[in-house]
Amino acid sequence: MAAKIQSLDEAPNLPMTGAAYLPGVAYDEMFAPGGEVRGHYAPLQSRMATLGASALADRQKTLERSFLLQGITFTVYGAGSATERIIPTDLFPRIIPAAEWAKIESGLTQRLLALNMFLADIYGEQKILMDGVVPRDLVLGAPSYRREMQNLYVPHKSYANVCGSDLIRGQDGQFAVLEDNLRVPSGVSYMLANRDAAKRTFPGTYREAGVRPVERYPDLLLATLKSMSADWRSDPQVVVLTPGVYNSAYYEHAYLARLMGVPLVEGRDLVVHDNMVYMRTTTGLRRVDVIYRRVDDDFIDPLTFRRDSSLGAAGLFNAYRAGNVVICNAPGTGVADDKAVYAFVPDIIRYYLGEDPILPNIETYLCREKSQLSHVLANLDKLVVKAVGASGGYGMLVGPHASAQERAEFAEALKADPGNYIAQPTIQLSTAPCLVDGRIEPRHVDLRPFILSGEKTIVTPGALTRVALKRGSLVVNSSQGGGSKDTWVLAEENGHSNGNGNGHSNGHKGNGQ
Amino acid sequence: MMLARVADSLYWLGRYIERAEHLSRLSSVMLNATLDQTDSGVQAVWIALSAVGDSETGKVSPYDAALALVLDRSDPNSVVSSLTMARENARQVRDQITTETWERLNVLYLRVTDPNAEAEFADNSVAFLHDVIADVHLFKGAADATMSHGESWRFMMLGMYLERAQLVSSLLEVCFAPAPGREINDHLALVSLLRMACALEPYLRVYTAEIEPRHILEFLVFDEDFPRSIRFATSRIEEHLATLARHVEAAGRAAPERLAGKLKARLQFADVDELEAGGAGSLLTAVVNECARIHEAIYETFVSYPLELRLPA
Repeated sequence: MAAKIQSLDEAPNLPMTGAAYLPGVAYDEMFAPGGEVRGHYAPLQSRMATLGASALADRQKTLERSFLLQGITFTVYGAGSATERIIPTDLFPRIIPAAEWAKIESGLTQRLLALNMFLADIYGEQKILMDGVVPRDLVLGAPSYRREMQNLYVPHKSYANVCGSDLIRGQDGQFAVLEDNLRVPSGVSYMLANRDAAKRTFPGTYREAGVRPVERYPDLLLATLKSMSADWRSDPQVVVLTPGVYNSAYYEHAYLARLMGVPLVEGRDLVVHDNMVYMRTTTGLRRVDVIYRRVDDDFIDPLTFRRDSSLGAAGLFNAYRAGNVVICNAPGTGVADDKAVYAFVPDIIRYYLGEDPILPNIETYLCREKSQLSHVLANLDKLVVKAVGASGGYGMLVGPHASAQERAEFAEALKADPGNYIAQPTIQLSTAPCLVDGRIEPRHVDLRPFILSGEKTIVTPGALTRVALKRGSLVVNSSQGGGSKDTWVLAEENGHSNGNGNGHSNGHKGNGQ
Repeated sequence: MMLARVADSLYWLGRYIERAEHLSRLSSVMLNATLDQTDSGVQAVWIALSAVGDSETGKVSPYDAALALVLDRSDPNSVVSSLTMARENARQVRDQITTETWERLNVLYLRVTDPNAEAEFADNSVAFLHDVIADVHLFKGAADATMSHGESWRFMMLGMYLERAQLVSSLLEVCFAPAPGREINDHLALVSLLRMACALEPYLRVYTAEIEPRHILEFLVFDEDFPRSIRFATSRIEEHLATLARHVEAAGRAAPERLAGKLKARLQFADVDELEAGGAGSLLTAVVNECARIHEAIYETFVSYPLELRLPA
């Protein structure tokens, strides 16, 4: 991979010109292979060209300052003191044209529909296992499979109400699904914060481009959560359950609670009595109907799951089983985003919907199969190997970037427990221009759109674009030094004046405000 | 309706903010007073340090004492610790306070925890403290102007006024409770005292530049309109508690609003003659103790009540 990694002197000085920016072998979001700017990037390109290095640096600084003030930070504990760091964020938006988005949207809707049907099936009649489409032991043996969920009524058969899928764009320019996140996906607050910042950084360009708004996410989330509660509860009480202020996503939990206008509770605020869930308020106990939990399955109820957890509420799961409270996402959804089950998602889609998948999977080798294991072991230097149970970029080997010793160590681990690993070809993620140390350089990006599913399924027209800030790195996880940038989904094809660099608006009106 | 834990955090947010403001002002006045090499300066230092419970005054220079009072992170009663705790509490209830209010507090926190804070303080401590106090005022203004004046805001105000009543009482106790060989009667020291209570200008408008201990007591204990008098603070405490308690219907609870009402009445019907006749100390001590009882009653009523009493029938 990475046959042609950008070298520093190839990077353009500012103001940037297309000719000096060499994206390398990966698909570049902004430049076509011939060096010309892709049509949907033209308004941004003309703005970038007029801004000098210092103007861009100023804007980047303003952006970072605003994140710091809002408290969009994580804490780094150092010698005797704690300092606040912002999540790195890049000021150039990533732009997706309307037609491409239409395909992503229908593909994600199809996929989540099938995955929810899969969950309803395996926690119900298990037809798909009986028909041998997905191996029985793979599902029932997965640590994320929750026997406790068997035969439980879930409204609208919507197990995963909030989903954040990771898409990548390969060298051929096609989007594919890398991972489904059906447990407690995070990042949506960065999508909203990035949008807020982008509107202030490039207001004219934003208006001219015709960008679809993402600001409705909180109220759509609330409507989705409410649609999960029982009909007879009028005006259901929704709460957000957070592990607390030391959780790395706490900012997001508080942000969503604030924008939905619902209480942000911790486990210690909840009391279960007679299979009803209450929260302790200043005026006594008050009934809770829907819990949007941002706590992992294992920790929500010490009586049912991990006994040492103090993050949940004792008796919560029984109240859920009794139908007196709704937990979103439902416990046990993790089995559908299991890295080994992932390989079967195209079959799952065909099985339930009778359709071909709109968005392809990445080719995946299951090391539990002997023949595939030997292929993986023979090609470790070309593959990415992932532990089935791990996430966040941990427990992962990027073959082409690893040393011979690292590969040898990983090979031993693979042979010892092949069922725990899958492998995929190393995908050259697409690149997008980023401001790095005063230069505009290509960096690899992925795409995390957010899908809501309750009574209806809604794909938010926007996403979190995660950026691997290290040159040449393919790992975008924030725990591994990744950053993010805003993602503009255009309302209509070529919703801008093509290549017009003088800021003349051609009168296109997007939905974006 | 709000979470008990949230009410607790908002209450402490109010207390810590008030404490940070008070400590900043004490330090600032103290440093200003010592610019003149007079006995009044020494007295001002003694007042400030005694008010924060530092009895071993005179061992360190006023500058070092102020530096510790403001920026010592290991001291839980410093400005930086108070603001850190205020922000920590605000973070716990980030969904309850407006972005405008949060940002003011966050700016303040970032200012005092900045790695250069000590250098800035050394460079011009009075300007540094002036900015901190101004930021606290901006925070309070943002809270007043942007938050709904409902339950959240009331719990914050409750914490602020309880802290204020206790701080002003302690400050007056230091100066006017009989202590052997210590009588504050120096004009400039009394001016410093008024400054520490942020009361100099309002005082002058009522009593002119005749600075008398008796008038200071009257003003800081009994004045109806001055926001830092004990009477004003207890009236607000009573008012907020009466509103907050309206929706609590548990029998046998501690009724903090009644305790606050009694304290308010006591201050309403006493006057400075009585105070001087009986010695200021006993009333001021009573205020501090009553505030502590009200604090406990708030907890029993709103925060850590026994669950058996509140389960649905």
